[in-house]
Amino acid sequence: MKGLILKDFYVLTKQMRIFLIMIVILGLMPSINTNVFAVVYAAMLPYTALAYDERSHWDTYASMMPYTVRDLVLSKYILGWCFTAAAALIVLAAGEVERQFVSGISASPAATGLALCVGTLATALTLPLMFRFSVERGRMFFLLLVIVLACGSAGLFSGIAEDPAAAVLTRRLVLILPAATILCSVLSVFLSIRLYQKRMTE
Amino acid sequence: MEYENAIEVRGVSRSFRDFALRDVTLTLPGGCILGLVGENGAGKSTLIRLIMNTLRRDAGTITVLGQDNAGPAFSALKEDIGVVLDEAYFPEVLNVRQVGKVLERTYRQWEGDLFSSYIERFALPWDRPFKDFSRGMKMKLAIAAALSHRPRLLILDEATSGLDPIVRDEILDLFLEFAREEGHSILISSHILSDLEKLCDYVAFLHQGQLLFCEEKDRLLETYGIVTCTAQQLKDLPEDAVVSVERSSQYGGVRALVRRNEVAASFGAERATIEEIILFQVKGERVQ
Repeated sequence: MKGLILKDFYVLTKQMRIFLIMIVILGLMPSINTNVFAVVYAAMLPYTALAYDERSHWDTYASMMPYTVRDLVLSKYILGWCFTAAAALIVLAAGEVERQFVSGISASPAATGLALCVGTLATALTLPLMFRFSVERGRMFFLLLVIVLACGSAGLFSGIAEDPAAAVLTRRLVLILPAATILCSVLSVFLSIRLYQKRMTE
Repeated sequence: MEYENAIEVRGVSRSFRDFALRDVTLTLPGGCILGLVGENGAGKSTLIRLIMNTLRRDAGTITVLGQDNAGPAFSALKEDIGVVLDEAYFPEVLNVRQVGKVLERTYRQWEGDLFSSYIERFALPWDRPFKDFSRGMKMKLAIAAALSHRPRLLILDEATSGLDPIVRDEILDLFLEFAREEGHSILISSHILSDLEKLCDYVAFLHQGQLLFCEEKDRLLETYGIVTCTAQQLKDLPEDAVVSVERSSQYGGVRALVRRNEVAASFGAERATIEEIILFQVKGERVQ
């Protein structure tokens, strides 16, 4: 599987250089909205990697190699988790530095954690469809989901930063959301393996 | 060698909405080269995908290098199978060096020095992106990749199509070099029958999803001949000896594909090429 992840890393750093720089810049900016956006945006990278695979027919070629369907699927999830976690780390590090000078304008660790969960959840909910129907068709579903999640969570993130009364809700979310994210991700991986197997052998 | 046949396909079928591969049975004996021939859409690539278990089959069994290809160990067995498809499907931004690094982490048996020797032999640039390669260069890279993990079986799906004769010849020599090593086998599908005639020990002919024959090449060449005669003379040929007939609209003459040992020497049956045998099977007028 290391080969698959390395291949995606080469492709993304070459094809998506501007995109990656944007994630770093958005993560460093002293703004909650751009910070959260950077983390969720990083969660989209597996779709881009999948799209490049489909374009170059790498998926056909890789299926002839000693990789199982599980390897092919899991490598995309790991790629997404790594990039999302990296974006979250950038936001956290930048936030810590910024808070030395001024508070409340960067995403807090809790908000960053929630953004990490939302990004990972979005990946978990949409990747199975991309594995089943190809990226082109699956991406429409992803955009719909991002809009719903963005609208639903915008107030939540600002509440976490500004309203002390939201502390109770935050504490609950801090417990529930990571657990839900992990559970959804595990189920999503199994579902993607089944769906991709079906698509590849049809 | 712990297996007798490198590939055994038994009664394999697969149906699609508009095409079906029906009841295919063929064998590639270990240490031999089998050429898979057929028109576009005959089912060659489908059969190769079935052999590599990347396509679900409706019926039949397939054994590769002595193992059932539907078994859990088949993924690991792919270490021993080098595959070259009709196009080299590497991501276009990767260069040769990066392809080497990716494949080094893909195959446990990968030999970096061997890969380097093929790259040098083919004079491929190490750092130029794959998208800037010519088709010949792309296919050479795909072949270098397929050979650098020391496979025992090579599966080549139209790997030489679209290449100029010089590159093709160079690549065919490489395949022959591979096949000379003990226990190495090749399954090659191609439109270019002259390539298969040069390379293969066995020829399998797929037509509209059905296997018309899978025979030893020398036996095919020995068995069949071409008789050129008039329509009247055709009637004198033993009925059982004539496989198919092609009538010339211009001169009223006929050419018949015959079984040579059933035809009197006076008919002067000439040796048939593999191409003629196949064309007669498809286009000729069936006698029996």
